[in-house]
Amino acid sequence: MGATQNGTSPVFGRRTAVQKLGGISLGAALLLLAARGKRVYAVAATVRHQWSGEKAQRDYYRTKPRWASWMVPQLNVRDGWSEPTAWMATIENLHRLPYIHDNFNRLLPVTKLAHHWVMVIDLRKCIGCQACVVACKSENNVPVGVYRTWVQVVETGAMVPDPAGSVVTDQGRFEPNVKRFSLPRLCNHCDSPPCVEVCPVKATFKREDGLVLIDYPKCLGCGYCINACPYDARFFNPIQQTADKCTFCVQRLDRGLLPACVTSCVGRARIFGDLNDPHSAVAQLIAQYPTAHLKSTMGTKPQVYYIGLDGALSEDGADTFNTIYPYAVGTNTEEYDDLTGKVLLETPSGGERGTP
Amino acid sequence: MPEGSLIHSGLENVYWGLMIVTYPYISGLVAGSFVVSSLSHVFHQKIFDKLAPLAVLVSFALLLAAPLTVLGDARQPTNFWELLSRGHWPYSPIAFFILIWMGYIVLMLFELYFAFRAENARRAAAGDPRQRLHHILALGSRDTSEAAAARDKRILLILSSLGILMAFLFHGYIGFIFGSTKARPLWATPLMPVMFIVSAMVSGIALMWVVYVLTMRYYGRPVERPIADGLLRYLILFVLLDLYMDAVDFLTSAIPAYTQGPTAQGFQRILLHGPDAGVYLGLQIGVGLFVPLVVWVIPRLRQSWIGGAVMSVAVLIGVFAMRWDVVIAGQVQSKISQNILVAHIPWFGFDSVQTVMGVFGVAWVVFLVLAWLFPWKPWETLTEDGSPERTQQGLSPQGGESA
Repeated sequence: MGATQNGTSPVFGRRTAVQKLGGISLGAALLLLAARGKRVYAVAATVRHQWSGEKAQRDYYRTKPRWASWMVPQLNVRDGWSEPTAWMATIENLHRLPYIHDNFNRLLPVTKLAHHWVMVIDLRKCIGCQACVVACKSENNVPVGVYRTWVQVVETGAMVPDPAGSVVTDQGRFEPNVKRFSLPRLCNHCDSPPCVEVCPVKATFKREDGLVLIDYPKCLGCGYCINACPYDARFFNPIQQTADKCTFCVQRLDRGLLPACVTSCVGRARIFGDLNDPHSAVAQLIAQYPTAHLKSTMGTKPQVYYIGLDGALSEDGADTFNTIYPYAVGTNTEEYDDLTGKVLLETPSGGERGTP
Repeated sequence: MPEGSLIHSGLENVYWGLMIVTYPYISGLVAGSFVVSSLSHVFHQKIFDKLAPLAVLVSFALLLAAPLTVLGDARQPTNFWELLSRGHWPYSPIAFFILIWMGYIVLMLFELYFAFRAENARRAAAGDPRQRLHHILALGSRDTSEAAAARDKRILLILSSLGILMAFLFHGYIGFIFGSTKARPLWATPLMPVMFIVSAMVSGIALMWVVYVLTMRYYGRPVERPIADGLLRYLILFVLLDLYMDAVDFLTSAIPAYTQGPTAQGFQRILLHGPDAGVYLGLQIGVGLFVPLVVWVIPRLRQSWIGGAVMSVAVLIGVFAMRWDVVIAGQVQSKISQNILVAHIPWFGFDSVQTVMGVFGVAWVVFLVLAWLFPWKPWETLTEDGSPERTQQGLSPQGGESA
């Protein structure tokens, strides 16, 4: 109105403007839809068939290898890395167990559930042979430089001054008053997992039988779950570029097999079973022996029980124990740099830095 | 081949790199500059009327750039749609942040429309060379009457009041992303959201001082002392608040007798005596808080332009250092092993200095586009006493050189 009254060049009126704007935005929306139509259909199909079977999941990976984002490393075809269907673990969920992402109290009391998988680790029997680490890497195709389970060799106690001590230093003679432990670590499959609660896209979930798992194609790779895990059990898989962690070998468990680390344990230090079954080995062990958790003060209700866990090992370890075997100390620490020079492992995503 | 933060060399790594340092930084600038604009819209501080449109544009440009940092840090950014289609509301702080961000975008669009509607309508009617553009930006509205302007002001008052709440929610929630992570002893403190909001105010005000002075200098306009000095006065107020928050944080996190073991240990070994001592004591506390205070207490410095520039830039550096001390220092503390981790910040590639510069570049380009679109220049739109300018073709009342 103002324009026409002022006698300036007549521009289109308010209604016309709305129509034009509406037309433009409608056109843009249609263009976007057309461009993404195929993708939208693919996503819808995926949602329908997600985890409904191994074949559907493999089809999903074949059609949409979304782990291959712009960060995808140069994969070696001859090693099988080019075919995710050939190596990526499948969560079959044969028994159609429900997944939950929050309000974990719904799973309590555990006696209501068919299974409640837990692991008992008897530290008196662990000899630190690392067979479980190797078995896990082999079973789950865990890339170089990351671990789903690892065995920390740690020492508690102190060197005490002793005139007749066996250790001679510039400061005098000392006698070691220490104990050494092998401490297997893995995902604790917590009953109140902070990693699951913080996931912004519900890509990680707790299955009704107690397993904390990840739906890899949905993972945003934001790293929040990795930071939220008090046990550092999660990591970025450098091949698939998503969060990754121990699954209690769900692909074996769903077929009635034990996890690879349990079957490979030479001292039978790792015992796996159903806590809801009072006759299972784990239920018997937990009933008859004092057990402890790692970082129980975090309130995460871990489901990995340790027998013979030294109090110095159960909480944050910065002062209470001393790691001996360097492979569980972060190799990217300043102390490690000072000790050995810049030694960083070669990884598929990172290339080499320094001497491997 | 990417390197740096993606090297999986040990069992523990720094997972959130420089992009996540920038994420709360940019979000803080959004919140802070929005509050500067609301000084005029909500608190009726007449002197800031000329600054409010510019502050709205700065805030909106940075708001659009803020999520780029998170997406740039994510390993699978193409999965962003999952945030909307299957977001974990309201349990996950990051998922909730997306809701707040989208709500903030909608609110800012309304704010942009009503802040510039009268001027756009006037220009659409006045035969401005860019008549059609202004007509579209006013969505066809041609009402230039006083009653319409008064209605705009009322709407802006409501929008900006909501916007302040939104800004606090927006930035407080980012603080909560860190504050809720109990696995990181240096993050898990209820002070985190409040500290983030206070430092957001500080950095936003400092940014508006810099942007205001630079744009005025660029267009050859006189920098008005009441605006610049008023901003610095608010800046010092919030710097004092920030100092208070830092003191509380120090007392409740750094003293072994007052806090949990890992928290005090991490604070001592990383921020006070460790790799980030320089960033914490030197940049965050020294440059970010004490330099502005020292400049402020010396009248000759305080009244000079160089003093204002030193205060603002020092604060901007100090707040970035504060973000670093939260994000990086919190992560270099190991969870299950003993030593302090090394943070690799690459210069180029994924999660690097280069990508951070890119995000700031995007914000800068978006700001230029917005500044080109919207009639924000006060010397074209307002008279000396703040009433709408009625002259044609945007001639300035001072008759100075119009850009």
